Amino acid sequence: MSNDIMKLTRRQFVKSAGFTVGMCLVGVNFTKKAYAQAKEYLSERQLSVYKQDAAMKYRKSQDSPAIAKIYKDFLHEPCGHVSHELLHTHYHDRSAALKAVLAKGVKLKIGA
Amino acid sequence: MQKIESVNYASTNAVPKADAVDKTLFVQVDETKCQSCGTCQEVCSTGAIQPKDGKDGPRTIVDPAACMNCGQCLANCPYEAIHENVSFLDDIEAALADPNVKVVSMPAPAVRYGLGECFGYPTGAYVGGKMFTALRKLGFDKIWDNQMTADVTIMEEGTELLNRLTGKDKAPLPQFTSCCPGWIKFAETFYPQIMPNLSSCKSPIGMLGPLCKTYGAEQAKIDAKKMYTVSIMPCIAKKFEGLRPEIKDIDATITTRELAYLIKKHKIDFKNLKDSEPDFDLGESTGAGTIFGNSGGVMEAALRLAYEVVSGEKLTGDAVNIKPVRTHTGVQAATIDVPKFGKLNVCVISGLHNAVPIIQEVIAGKSPYHFIEVMTCPGGCVNGAGQPLAPGTLQSSLFRSVIARMNRRFNMRSIG
Repeated sequence: MSNDIMKLTRRQFVKSAGFTVGMCLVGVNFTKKAYAQAKEYLSERQLSVYKQDAAMKYRKSQDSPAIAKIYKDFLHEPCGHVSHELLHTHYHDRSAALKAVLAKGVKLKIGA
Repeated sequence: MQKIESVNYASTNAVPKADAVDKTLFVQVDETKCQSCGTCQEVCSTGAIQPKDGKDGPRTIVDPAACMNCGQCLANCPYEAIHENVSFLDDIEAALADPNVKVVSMPAPAVRYGLGECFGYPTGAYVGGKMFTALRKLGFDKIWDNQMTADVTIMEEGTELLNRLTGKDKAPLPQFTSCCPGWIKFAETFYPQIMPNLSSCKSPIGMLGPLCKTYGAEQAKIDAKKMYTVSIMPCIAKKFEGLRPEIKDIDATITTRELAYLIKKHKIDFKNLKDSEPDFDLGESTGAGTIFGNSGGVMEAALRLAYEVVSGEKLTGDAVNIKPVRTHTGVQAATIDVPKFGKLNVCVISGLHNAVPIIQEVIAGKSPYHFIEVMTCPGGCVNGAGQPLAPGTLQSSLFRSVIARMNRRFNMRSIG
């Protein structure tokens, strides 16, 4: 255990110290609740999405009447001519702007 | 500064000019409010947010080129010290008030799982039906659902994947998803060499804008020139995407929070609204469309198509739920057995920093994957920084600010 503490980075140490002190100040129960809220928060919205998905009349894009109609009347086929015109795109190399920032001596978490 | 759903906005009338988009900071720190706790610096994937003095002073976003506009710093700041800089609210209200303009609302899937929280519903409550009614009451002429073009995206992106797998499309494998605007800017900025691996598909909203002004206008017999399209997103980076020159026909973008602000401002009694549906032609959607809001959702939706196309077999019952790709954080790899194809290797990533090792594998030519989904926000769009702030964040703000204060003390001592 003591070895594990030695392995913490500065920020992790600071975080756990802050957490411990926070717990002393506001009480264990409140801490537990706040922690659980912060943790479970992620899954609450996600679970709601999967619940709704399971309840929907159609579960797969290819089964949708609106999809059948738009491909029949307008797009004709996936990745076809109209799609390429309206629905597909291209990308832009933005690395020059990044290099200009790095050249100013700014350090980021990710290099070029 | 104006407060909207617990988040500060520089102004409700702040739309950058077309030539200034790349130089615009969509979020920034108010240095007078920053307590230098470093939380934002920790959650930022690129390191764009850092101490202005180079030591431990107030944080700032150093340059728009380094910021992916995701706003996770804003969503996690315990002091409400980070604000949004871009807002189309005044523009939208002017369009709604103009009888000559046909205003189209385009709500993203995730918005309907967050909006209710602004009106006292429990976390994640689905309020889609009430949202559609509220949009009509606000004066939107059409509700064309971004969830429907999520289905279109699956048809396009799934087909693109199949074409890459069979060699009909010469673009390389693995294919990366292209729905998330933070991820796209990240790839273009830090790893432009993988641009050929990005799906050429626009995001669902990138597809819906032009479809409104062509197919939608045709079906509803509306003059496309009089149409004003409003993208409603759980996301701050979508404001940037909507302003990109190659993404056309998105006239305005607002967040879930800003929609709640409009509903409250117009004194609409949200809780007592009846449910209604979006307008059909660009309105009816499927479960595959709604799961776009979750990390792993685009992957699962694409697999529901690819599996059936390749194997010729129908997915029924519980098999529709492709649970191995459901995740809420980090990196999740899975292998799916697809009859007549074999093993399809997929990977779902949330958090841009988590994508780095996977991208490096791709660049080295050693990636085992066929298809990779990347989302910037933890758990996907439902937890985007345009959503109402997590009740966890608000309720535990006392607790968090105590931690933050401790961190600051330690930071000032410059240990380690």
